Amino acid sequence: MRRSGSLAALAALVVAVAFPFVVDDAADVRMVSLGLVLAVAAMGLNVLTGLTGQISIGHAAFYGLGAFVSAQLTIETALTFSSTIPVAVAVAALAGAVVGLPALRVRGPALALVTLGLALVVPTLLRKYGAPGRSALWQPRRRDLASPFEGVSDTQWKYLVPLAAVVLVYLALRNLVRSRAGRALIAVRDNEVPAATAGVNVALAKIAAFALSAACCGLAGALSVLVRGQADASSALSYFQLSIYFLVAVVVGGVATNGGPILGALVVQVLIDKAPEWGGHRAGLAPFILGTALVALLFVMPDGIFGGARRLQAAMRRGRSAPSAGPAPSPLSPSPIPDPKEAP
Amino acid sequence: MRTARHRRALAALAALALLFSTACTKDDDTSTPPGRTDDPTATSGDPTGTTSGDVGDVIDERLADCPDGSETAGLDGNTIKLVSSYPREGLLSAFAEIAEGYNAYFDRVNEAGGVEVGGEKYLIEVEGFNDNYDPSQTVEQITRALGPDGDGAFGTFSVVGTANNIAIRTTLDEQCVPNIFASTGAPAMGNPEFPWTIGSSLPLYSTEANAFADYLKEEKPDATVAMLLQEGEYGDGYEESFAQAIEGTEITVVATERYEPGLNTDIAAQVTKLAATGADVFFNGATLLPCPNGLVKAAELGWNTITYVSGTCASKTLTGAAGPAAEGILSAPNLMDPNDPQWDDEPRMADYKETVAAWKAKANRPGSDPLNGVVGYGWTLADIFVQALEAAPELTRSAVMKSLNALDVTEAGIMFPDLSVRTGAGDRFLGESARLSRYSTDITAFSPLEGTYDYEGGTAIPPALITAG
Repeated sequence: MRRSGSLAALAALVVAVAFPFVVDDAADVRMVSLGLVLAVAAMGLNVLTGLTGQISIGHAAFYGLGAFVSAQLTIETALTFSSTIPVAVAVAALAGAVVGLPALRVRGPALALVTLGLALVVPTLLRKYGAPGRSALWQPRRRDLASPFEGVSDTQWKYLVPLAAVVLVYLALRNLVRSRAGRALIAVRDNEVPAATAGVNVALAKIAAFALSAACCGLAGALSVLVRGQADASSALSYFQLSIYFLVAVVVGGVATNGGPILGALVVQVLIDKAPEWGGHRAGLAPFILGTALVALLFVMPDGIFGGARRLQAAMRRGRSAPSAGPAPSPLSPSPIPDPKEAP
Repeated sequence: MRTARHRRALAALAALALLFSTACTKDDDTSTPPGRTDDPTATSGDPTGTTSGDVGDVIDERLADCPDGSETAGLDGNTIKLVSSYPREGLLSAFAEIAEGYNAYFDRVNEAGGVEVGGEKYLIEVEGFNDNYDPSQTVEQITRALGPDGDGAFGTFSVVGTANNIAIRTTLDEQCVPNIFASTGAPAMGNPEFPWTIGSSLPLYSTEANAFADYLKEEKPDATVAMLLQEGEYGDGYEESFAQAIEGTEITVVATERYEPGLNTDIAAQVTKLAATGADVFFNGATLLPCPNGLVKAAELGWNTITYVSGTCASKTLTGAAGPAAEGILSAPNLMDPNDPQWDDEPRMADYKETVAAWKAKANRPGSDPLNGVVGYGWTLADIFVQALEAAPELTRSAVMKSLNALDVTEAGIMFPDLSVRTGAGDRFLGESARLSRYSTDITAFSPLEGTYDYEGGTAIPPALITAG
């Protein structure tokens, strides 16, 4: 079973790597590149929401910070764009750790409001103190973002780098979940008191989750500079919107699943990108299409694409053999509630 | 097993680090295009761009750095494909009607077989995208439409907004994509550092500010002025130009209030503060809905004083939205107002109204109202562009840009009969003349006062505005 899963993952990776070399339309490749950037951010948010059960509707602040650091360093210093990425990740992680402090005291909707404030404050500060001109846009020169390899076009390069980041973050988070630290985070989510009794440092776990989550978003922000050619702090509203897209990607893909946020991000990005076209570029139709599609998707698959796929897989298995205990729960999943129908 | 997995992870990390950091510092590649510095504040030669040489020479110098095949990119057979970006939805959509004007004009040209350039006939198509007036979205839309090599269209046409055009012009310049008629009155669009961008026929904000200042010098030489401005380069354009224009006079600016562009169009607080100064003049430099909202608020506060509105607000949609509060306001347009009956017998106006009305019916465009000055502005842009195309010796991007930089158009769309559009060596500005006009709610139109204000040659432009952004 595990072997077939690995084979499927390998096949998916081969298809993903081949994609920009077989698809001619640069706009489509760019769309998927943006989807991969969104996936990195969504995986980051999933660490917080899925792993430790905390809610954030302001994670674009870390994304924006990462984008700003990366773009500003590329423009102002002798560093190459790629060498600015670790700095962007580190700055975002640090900011995440600082923001994690209030998370020790507040939770649920109150924490969501704290993070919302963050999404509004960060672009305002960047605009006020960091903007190069009157507009809060940082645009590195095109040649500083160009492909360093002869046989790889800029479009392909701007796809392959985010893809590598998605793979790396996916593997890192998958390993984290299976590690002692990951189990500590899950224990904190499920119930803090027994977790503390069992020796888990709850405060440290929460701050670490925030920092890790912010680091992923900072990485996504830096990658967005590569794909979009700019970092942007022109509107606090757009930061809020982006934060919601992160959350939507997690929910659509499947909260507390490893691969869910990747699938969710790709679906959300395709919807964002194609909705205006499907609406014939008519005023107001794009948000309607996007909203309707998301509602329909969650109606059919309430636990996200990943959950839906698992359900389908289980149903097929049940169809093939005698009733079984259903799909094996992911270590990320919240404590399973026994289903009376499936009880022996 | 566990160690093996750690080793694999480490190996993956190392490979990725290698891939990312092929080098930590950039090659000291200083292949900046000739005549261009990367420091926007540093300029070679004359910073005003008003006395420097022919921008066509700069274009020729830089052609070698353009992407392969860029000269004829965006030509689909005999169709010139152009793209545009502007706010198309909701509260910000008043400028979307510009497209109705140029589309109506281009449709007529296409129906007649196209525009003739270098002995060949070409059709013109413009595809528009929504950017919500947000510069980052403008970059997004234009990047997507043009593709990574800038060959998705021949050029951009009438992209709306100062900050929006500043956000895209560097990339367009690097890709040698003509940014034709940036729809803003900002003198920054004439910066010779960016030869692939050229502003539109909209009166420059410096033209407007100078025309109004010159009017005040005659009518109220000791006026106190309170200004409502939009945050950013657009507001700077009015503020700095007006300050320069009133230097050495008794006219003083007693208060300035700014608002953030965007979906929040409530500027009551700013207008209340301005009204509290009791200034003799309300300079309403707002655009889109904050402009009529400002007029209404001033009237509510009983601040009925000499009022000037931005040329971007002088349209049926926006000025009309202020209702009776717009009575008697001044502006400095360069177009005949389609609502003003005195132009009914003017052949160019009659042609415009007839064609747009026909287009409205043919293309089923209920929003395409020929009585709206914004539509007339789009129509005028299209007319000037077609005349520039006809004057170009061949259909290449560089030839078209050179033609746009050597305009001498005496009859442009619905521009006032006594005004013209001229560009040339050292003068990259189209909207350098205007007529001060007064709005009447009886005819819901701006009618010109006596005389014209002409600042041809860039003489009224503060140099800092040209290098802004």
